[in-house]
Amino acid sequence: MPVKIGNRNGLTICYVEGEIDINTSPDVKKPFDKLISSKTPKIIVNLSKVTYVDSSGLATLVEILKNMRSYGGKLKLSNMSSKIKSLFEITKLEKLFDIVADEEEAISTFV
Amino acid sequence: MMEPEIVIKADNVVKSFGDRTILDGISLEIYKGETFVIMGGSGCGKSTFLRHVIGSLKPDSGKIFLLGKDLSKIDENEMDKVRMKIGMCFQSSALFDSMTVGDNVSIGLREHTKLDKSVIDIVVKMKLEMVGLRGFENLMPSALSGGMRKRVGLARAISMDPEIVFYDEPTAGLDPIVAGVIDKLIVDLSKKLNITSVVVTHDMKSVFSIADRVAMFYEGKVLEIGTPEEMKRSKNPMIQQFTSGSPDGPIRFFQQKDDYLERLVA
Repeated sequence: MPVKIGNRNGLTICYVEGEIDINTSPDVKKPFDKLISSKTPKIIVNLSKVTYVDSSGLATLVEILKNMRSYGGKLKLSNMSSKIKSLFEITKLEKLFDIVADEEEAISTFV
Repeated sequence: MMEPEIVIKADNVVKSFGDRTILDGISLEIYKGETFVIMGGSGCGKSTFLRHVIGSLKPDSGKIFLLGKDLSKIDENEMDKVRMKIGMCFQSSALFDSMTVGDNVSIGLREHTKLDKSVIDIVVKMKLEMVGLRGFENLMPSALSGGMRKRVGLARAISMDPEIVFYDEPTAGLDPIVAGVIDKLIVDLSKKLNITSVVVTHDMKSVFSIADRVAMFYEGKVLEIGTPEEMKRSKNPMIQQFTSGSPDGPIRFFQQKDDYLERLVA
């Protein structure tokens, strides 16, 4: 399973692992679809163990954000490697997402 | 200094159609991340070579390695997997006129992945943004100019995040300004996305503005490989003639008169 779900300070934290690409994006999306269907208000996506993201992976994260926004949910991305962060910059997505350095910052700015 | 990673290698590739030898022992290497231009006059074998590299044609002899795979030793199944890692930008754009721009861009994603339509729609918007066609997804190709069609073809070529993009005469038939826009896009995408670009062209302005290295083809052979600057300084009279666009020189553009008369009475 590429996504493990945890809880800290009442916040849902999703730990994504490995590559988020054309092959794995549908599996990455599934657990988020469940969280979204139950209108989870605040989600932190910890990307520390993500080694590669392609366009379909970025689009999957955009879709998750879009679906959360539909009910007023909030999403933060944390622990992004510099390589993945540069991908967000190239595609101008760093302005769309709330990107924070680490889980601590995500929690402190959420509460 | 680290050795560059070779993503394409041609080793003495020979191909004939009937009694005409089109590729006459082509050997070259293309490195990861570079923009490699194959230039040469019409009929020099450059497009035929491209078709061999993408596996559409098989050589009579010699070998081609694409992303580490010996194309002579892999079956269609494995070839399909390799093709997933390459993108192709055709000279004619090759858009499906019955489909919207968005459907043209997303065809590979719809055919070869299990991605949700909603995710594919977002990928399409991202790719159209990269080629400067924001908001064009619902238009039909017939509503587009030649330059826009090329850009849609480019968005489609990069839709599945390929490692290599092949361009066949990307600026053919475009005015100089639009051709310059396409050239800039090729360079930008190559650098931003770390894509290896292989461009077949006879547009010398393109060659000098986009190439990291250039191979000059003539009569199915590689005359010389070098940087654009090295090509400009080349002492080879054929390369000098081609880069200067001179009608006079060792490269013959017309059949011999005797040959013409022989053919008339043949």
